[in-house]
Amino acid sequence: MLPQRVKKTIIDNPKKLANLIDLVNLPSTLREFVGQSQISRLGCFMRVWSYIKTNNLQDPNNKNVVKCDQKLRSILMGKPQVELAELPALIKLHFPKDSK
Amino acid sequence: MGKIPPALRSAISSNTLLKTPTTTQPEKSPRHFLNKKPSRKSKESVSPETQKIPAVFKSPELSEAKKIFNSLITGKQNHIDRPFHNSLLQSYASISTVDNSISLLRHMIHKNPSFVPDRSTYHILISQSCKEPDSNLSSVRNILNLMVTNGLEPNQGTTDIAVRSLCSVNRVDDAVELVKELSSKNSPPDVYTYNFLVKCLCKCRALSTVYSFVDELRNSFDIKPNLVTYTILIDNVCNTKNLREAMRLVSALSDSGFRPDCFVYNTIMKGYCNLSKGSEVIGVYKKMKEEGVEPDLVTYNTLIFGLSKSGRVGEAKKFLKIMVEAGHFPDAVTYTSLMNGMCREGDAMGAMALLEEMEARGCSPNACTYNTLLHGLCKSRLLEKGIELFGVMEEDGMKLETASYATFVRALCRVGQVAEAYEVFDYAVESKSLSDVAAYTTLESTLKWLKKAKEQGHAV
Repeated sequence: MLPQRVKKTIIDNPKKLANLIDLVNLPSTLREFVGQSQISRLGCFMRVWSYIKTNNLQDPNNKNVVKCDQKLRSILMGKPQVELAELPALIKLHFPKDSK
Repeated sequence: MGKIPPALRSAISSNTLLKTPTTTQPEKSPRHFLNKKPSRKSKESVSPETQKIPAVFKSPELSEAKKIFNSLITGKQNHIDRPFHNSLLQSYASISTVDNSISLLRHMIHKNPSFVPDRSTYHILISQSCKEPDSNLSSVRNILNLMVTNGLEPNQGTTDIAVRSLCSVNRVDDAVELVKELSSKNSPPDVYTYNFLVKCLCKCRALSTVYSFVDELRNSFDIKPNLVTYTILIDNVCNTKNLREAMRLVSALSDSGFRPDCFVYNTIMKGYCNLSKGSEVIGVYKKMKEEGVEPDLVTYNTLIFGLSKSGRVGEAKKFLKIMVEAGHFPDAVTYTSLMNGMCREGDAMGAMALLEEMEARGCSPNACTYNTLLHGLCKSRLLEKGIELFGVMEEDGMKLETASYATFVRALCRVGQVAEAYEVFDYAVESKSLSDVAAYTTLESTLKWLKKAKEQGHAV
């Protein structure tokens, strides 16, 4: 039951929760991608994930892999392809801890 | 309990006002004590305001309301009965202030002398004054005085409506004050109002406050707790895991000349279930049998739930047989509890077999059943079956519970089906099973855990 316990601590921990849902001023690359100047880390993840889905960027042979298009590459450190599993961590890079 | 009794509902709603009985004698709804179980009925019944009241009045403006009233009654004063007036007043009261409602009532009486307000008319105003935001009891007292000056003494129905209205907007302390006040003026609450208030107090005040209320009413007004009151109190202390106090209450109720009934025993049994004390759960069952109290469906469900929870599935299965022999029909709660116990033991396939048996007996599984099974299957590393089961849940639009969602996502990630885990995440968000934050944090932490496991060279 590890994930459940972890989840609980995150929701119970106001700092970690804030880190996830507080609006943050975005750097210009990200600003271009999401089309607004502020977004939360959670909101950004949702945006990117739905972008992947609507543009069918998952590799048809291996759905766990995302083939980045030009736009996605610009915010995911220029990688041509990323694993779905590392998506949250990659997005987190844009939301450094000290920004709050 | 917790429900607005039928008698009262009609008293505050629109058109049957004339037939409203003057005392409230609500039917006790069956009490369910397995609070965390799936069959839990939505306890909050429809509040009076949401019932259909013709939207005659669109603005809280008094002059507008008077105009509308005038146009409605022109030429037919004598054909319009009291319920009609009451409905109009009720409709207006739902959007206006108490003062304006009183003015409209005065206007009605003035324009149509054949209309004589009765108790139910004033009850509309009482209910409104209790629910008015940021007010104190003075506006309630005003209406009560208005009733008295018009020759209508407040009765137990009045007290009941006031108390329930006050509690519905979390003014429990005001309700207590009002009850004491009315009791001292020879209008004591009936047992239903009293028990309702005790229950509200239990929910939001310290036990000592509840006890001092009970004591004060007993000492000052000779209003004594009955068996239902004791059950409410026992339920309350059981929920806070204070079984010693529960035992004290049981002896107190016996001292007052009551015999514990099925509800009392069920409540105590639930208390032991919460503490996972299997032996004590069976002890309560034996005691019931000794005392000649016939166990009901809830008893058996509690028993099976408690035994499953404390890891005594074998005995729980036995009681499934016993309850069927006693003529009870096991329901989704019974089966789900048992499945939960089996899954805890790692016997997810046995639980799946029970699902078939349950369906063969004409008992439909619910979302909780499926969540239990999904959780169990993933824990037993039977992911294929779990995915199949999730397909059924998706088709039926069933919600995922936190634990089964987390386990499922983790199981999928473990075998490298990250994309599928994302789909489950999407489903959890779309079906509003979990909040976005909860769903995401679970996914994120699972992926983090996965990365760590990979780095440490564990098999995935």
